[in-house]
Amino acid sequence: MSNQVKRVVIVGGGSAGWLTAGVIAADHRSPQGPALEVTLVESPAVGPIGVGEGTWPSMRDTLRRIGVSETDFIRECDAAFKQGSKFVGWSRGEAEHYYHPFSLPQGYTEANLVSAWLQRHAATPYAELVSFQPQLCERGRAPKQVTTPEFAAVANYAYHLDAGKLGQFLQRHCTARLGVRHVVDHVARIEPADNGDIAALVTAAQGRIAGDLFIDCTGFASLLLGQHYGVPLFSVQPQLFNDSALAVQVPYAAADAPIASHTISTARSAGWIWDIGLQTRRGVGHVYSSAHMSDTEAETILRDYVARGAHATDAATLAPRKLSFRPGYRQKLWERNCVAVGLAAGFVEPLEASALALVEFSAAMISDQLPATRASMDIVAARFNDAFRYRWERAVEFLKLHYLLSARTDSPYWREHRTSASVPPRLAEQLALWRQQPPSRYDFFRIEEIFPSASYHYVLYGMGFRPEPGAFPERPDNPALAERYFGEAAALAKSMLTGLPAHRALLNHLQSYRLQRI
Amino acid sequence: MARPVLLNNVEHKALRVITTHSAALGDNVMSAIVVPSEFRSVQACYPIVFQKQPDTGQFVPLALFGFEERENLFLTESGWDASYLPLSIERLPFLIGGQRTAQQGSAPQLVVHVDLDSPRISWTQGEPVFLEYGGTTEYLKRASALLHALHAGLEATTAFIDALLALDLLESFVLDIELKDGSHNRLAGFYTVNEERVRALDGTAIASLHARSFLEPLYMVVASTVHFRSLIDRRNRRL
Repeated sequence: MSNQVKRVVIVGGGSAGWLTAGVIAADHRSPQGPALEVTLVESPAVGPIGVGEGTWPSMRDTLRRIGVSETDFIRECDAAFKQGSKFVGWSRGEAEHYYHPFSLPQGYTEANLVSAWLQRHAATPYAELVSFQPQLCERGRAPKQVTTPEFAAVANYAYHLDAGKLGQFLQRHCTARLGVRHVVDHVARIEPADNGDIAALVTAAQGRIAGDLFIDCTGFASLLLGQHYGVPLFSVQPQLFNDSALAVQVPYAAADAPIASHTISTARSAGWIWDIGLQTRRGVGHVYSSAHMSDTEAETILRDYVARGAHATDAATLAPRKLSFRPGYRQKLWERNCVAVGLAAGFVEPLEASALALVEFSAAMISDQLPATRASMDIVAARFNDAFRYRWERAVEFLKLHYLLSARTDSPYWREHRTSASVPPRLAEQLALWRQQPPSRYDFFRIEEIFPSASYHYVLYGMGFRPEPGAFPERPDNPALAERYFGEAAALAKSMLTGLPAHRALLNHLQSYRLQRI
Repeated sequence: MARPVLLNNVEHKALRVITTHSAALGDNVMSAIVVPSEFRSVQACYPIVFQKQPDTGQFVPLALFGFEERENLFLTESGWDASYLPLSIERLPFLIGGQRTAQQGSAPQLVVHVDLDSPRISWTQGEPVFLEYGGTTEYLKRASALLHALHAGLEATTAFIDALLALDLLESFVLDIELKDGSHNRLAGFYTVNEERVRALDGTAIASLHARSFLEPLYMVVASTVHFRSLIDRRNRRL
């Protein structure tokens, strides 16, 4: 038996499976052809779950790395541009809102913006003072022009996409361009090796598929890691209560209705509603805690949301699809020669769209660190487990922050979210520190943090968190410096509002014209 | 605003066109679209660069006449100081337009239009467009030939640009210019051919370019870049 890792077998054909296949296959090409045999086994019976329509700007790098064209991606995945999130009703349960844009504050690493804001501009929302991007979102602008090259940004952006179509799009690219072998067959059983590794998958129709590394992308089923190896799910429900979602697809009221280029997250009494604008429809869903709300009640709230608002739609005709999940992640993500990516590894509610971002991080690390031999695999596995335990912990803390800082008292759900038993200890510690100093790189010191410290700024100060009086004293030269950056943000907003097309106009344009690669 | 109308020998019987060149006649342009079939002549006078059209984002080749908006360094007291005028300049104030014929589905017929808002339009001076009894003057025949050459050239341009992009031959460039008065100017937003990548093309790629008649215009673009120097000299002479 060869000790070399030459055959990678991915199980599951959703967006996690194809993103992972794409990254690994694209990275391991050589002038002589593929240096690695990548096989993706997909069951014909199991359809992709199709949730996870929001992404992070990292998706641009991932798609470029896989080698697809951005124009093709936008056309074929019903994709639209996403410049961040707008949170409505999270702090007081009214119509108040704040933005978490993807662009860093102007001068973020150069000046003490928070103190300057608190000292002289406290009446202006933090994000709107330090960033040009909330204005672009409010005015429905695209984050780039028709002349901006593929994957390049005028304003930092990610995508809203149809996850089912993303899987199909990547499948075509992976099989036609990257030499990925696609096997559509049901995995009947898993054949173990003597040492406890997985030796092969035995499929119903096409027999045995042997491999050196197996990647479990089987969704909530977690066929290899969860079922075969019995690695338990570590529940985070004590911190993040949501375990249910009702999702609907909502048509636009008119063919030329504006498309939001940000996720709108609206808090409700036992959860929140996502509202995501794709090219041809909106994806709207209510995610909630089944312990705090019945499905019927949740459905009423969802229908009520869809029927109201700027894009009022006839909600009576919509048939919501129910999803249930156990919020948590596997205690180990890489066991022997098997690693889980995507929902098979874990899932915690779609807030802040961490699901696909974690898939990208996982695929990148597996590909970058792909062990050449079985002997070194355990070292890589241990590091992978450490890296992703860290990332899952940070993701849980960042999501928890949205609930913890709320002043809502209208339901037990919001009050229970603030009980100390529900707060991860490290987050409690961070918050104590952030009363005296703003979040910084000292709090988030890993090379690739899932959420940068600037994201914590946007959420903390957007939610109304304020440091202790007299905290973060300013250097004498700071006021002038910070004012310059505030002025820069305002000037950028002004020029970008003039120069950037409407979001829908750019998406329409891309149906007829391609973005250039240069 | 342009006001193009279908040219006809009844309404426009007495129409004349001023064919000299000056800023007042709208020649104060920094660049003009050029087509591969005229690159050989264009490169004798001007740098050929590429730019994305702001409305479509698609590349077009341009002859460069100056370094900033409304600067045409070839424009002098006595006219346009160059031995060759790009088709898209010389055809003015005429345009080509499609006219649907009676038969459904057939390609639109190309017909000559004239921009009545062009400062070149005159009824008293310049070249007559029609003869006394409605016939076409040599001047109009020539303008019509230019328009057809331009139209065919624009159709070929798309394929030419696609071929350059497919071979990854275009790249953006920035030209920093120091004039003799010490002032610094920067030309940005344009693209050019990467000569190293052209030289590194393999036989198959060269043969394919050649078969599609793209090889000559490609080298004409490369050759045209010597005129950046002469353009800077023209600018310096104006200081």
